[in-house]
Amino acid sequence: MIPYASFFYFGLLLYPLVIGLVLAWFGKLTPGILLGLTVAMVVVQYSRIQAEGPNAFDKVWAVAGFALYQLAIASAFLQVRQRLQSKPAFWFAIILSLLPLALVKVVPTNAGVTLIEFVGVSYVTFRSLDVIIGIEDRLITALSSRQYVLFLLFFPAVSSGPIDRFRRFAGDLAQPRTRQILLADVDSGVQHIMRGFAYKFLVAALIKSHWLEPAESAHGMWSTISYMYAYTLYLFFDFAGYSAFAIGIGSMLGIRTPENFRLPFLARNINDFWNRWHISLSTWFRDHVFMRFMLAATRGKWFRSREVASVAAFYVTFLLMGLWHGVALRYVVYGLYHATLLSVHNVFGRWRRKHGKGEAGLGWEVASTALTFQLVCFGLLIFSGRLG
Amino acid sequence: MPVNSERRLSIAERVIEVLAEVAEDNVVRTDPDIPLFEQDVLDSLRTVDLILALTKEFGVDISPAELDRSLWATPKHIVAFMEAKVGV
Repeated sequence: MIPYASFFYFGLLLYPLVIGLVLAWFGKLTPGILLGLTVAMVVVQYSRIQAEGPNAFDKVWAVAGFALYQLAIASAFLQVRQRLQSKPAFWFAIILSLLPLALVKVVPTNAGVTLIEFVGVSYVTFRSLDVIIGIEDRLITALSSRQYVLFLLFFPAVSSGPIDRFRRFAGDLAQPRTRQILLADVDSGVQHIMRGFAYKFLVAALIKSHWLEPAESAHGMWSTISYMYAYTLYLFFDFAGYSAFAIGIGSMLGIRTPENFRLPFLARNINDFWNRWHISLSTWFRDHVFMRFMLAATRGKWFRSREVASVAAFYVTFLLMGLWHGVALRYVVYGLYHATLLSVHNVFGRWRRKHGKGEAGLGWEVASTALTFQLVCFGLLIFSGRLG
Repeated sequence: MPVNSERRLSIAERVIEVLAEVAEDNVVRTDPDIPLFEQDVLDSLRTVDLILALTKEFGVDISPAELDRSLWATPKHIVAFMEAKVGV
């Protein structure tokens, strides 16, 4: 069953929510119970009632197998890391952890790998990689299986994020909630859920039926331009709405997942945009790919200048981010497009700083924001696949 | 203890010195509460430089994975982070 897509789902959601809130009120919502609620909801979300016979639960088994596989890798790597630091061991753990996602994305769909595929596999993989990187950097020195599986499969966010970080998540689990904090969490939860309904079921649904779908079926340059804006706005309201549901439900259960969108269309430049759009994914790439690459490149003197290193880091980061969405030409082009924009922005920004062009006027700000929006929309047009 | 507080002061001063150099901005010396990322004093690239410079200055490992931007939001935050790291 697709989460947050039908009123039947929201009805079912009331069970873990009411149980969780009542227990939390009496201070009895332990990580163990939270794991129990998560397992129950994962079974609900991944079973296919309509399917006949043995197929009804195959995705549940795929999720369970995936979680145990990742747990085994993380635990084994933790054992190794406690004894020695070994780059090959680290990369081996990363490759093993990426393997199911890579198989699902690369191998053609009819080759039997569909058995291990499930909705959200790319999001969950990134959570497991976060743990491996944390172990490598000695930020994670102990791992409880219960906590790990709960982090990986936490049901409000399992299917499409936000991609939480293990240490942040574990911090929330460890924090006792007073009734006052609980009420504040519920308040935040209700507000997020209301925003989710408004964004997803009102704005996104209206854009889809009255603008996106008519533009999709029309041909010609003007309808493509119209489609570009419709697609951008639809994607934002649908995904931000979904994220608001996930964050809201999580908050009620004591997990304060960070925001995934922060008024992205008001971004002043492309760099600012990536601090506001799909934040949990962009910060994951920023911390785990971009900054690691820059650190390694600077320490190892891989490039003759810092500028060249940063341009290389942008391309590596955004190429991988493009591929994360799927192995298709349009995602690769989308990644390269954004890497190019960021490189240009970065070089231009350095030039401005060097020549003492500090504060920009209001006119510049407005023009820059409008231009950023246009560039972002065009990027999503590439992403949508309409250009072929 | 006076000795201890002197040591704390010197770590704070060293952090601010490194930060001012990396950010190429003296505002960090005068305003310990300036939101570094919001005000564009720091971005990802300069954060990398800062990690390298602080690692060199204090001889401790800093992982980009531990830099929650809320932890490094202001000069004051970075000082507190480094004090905890160096173990004052």
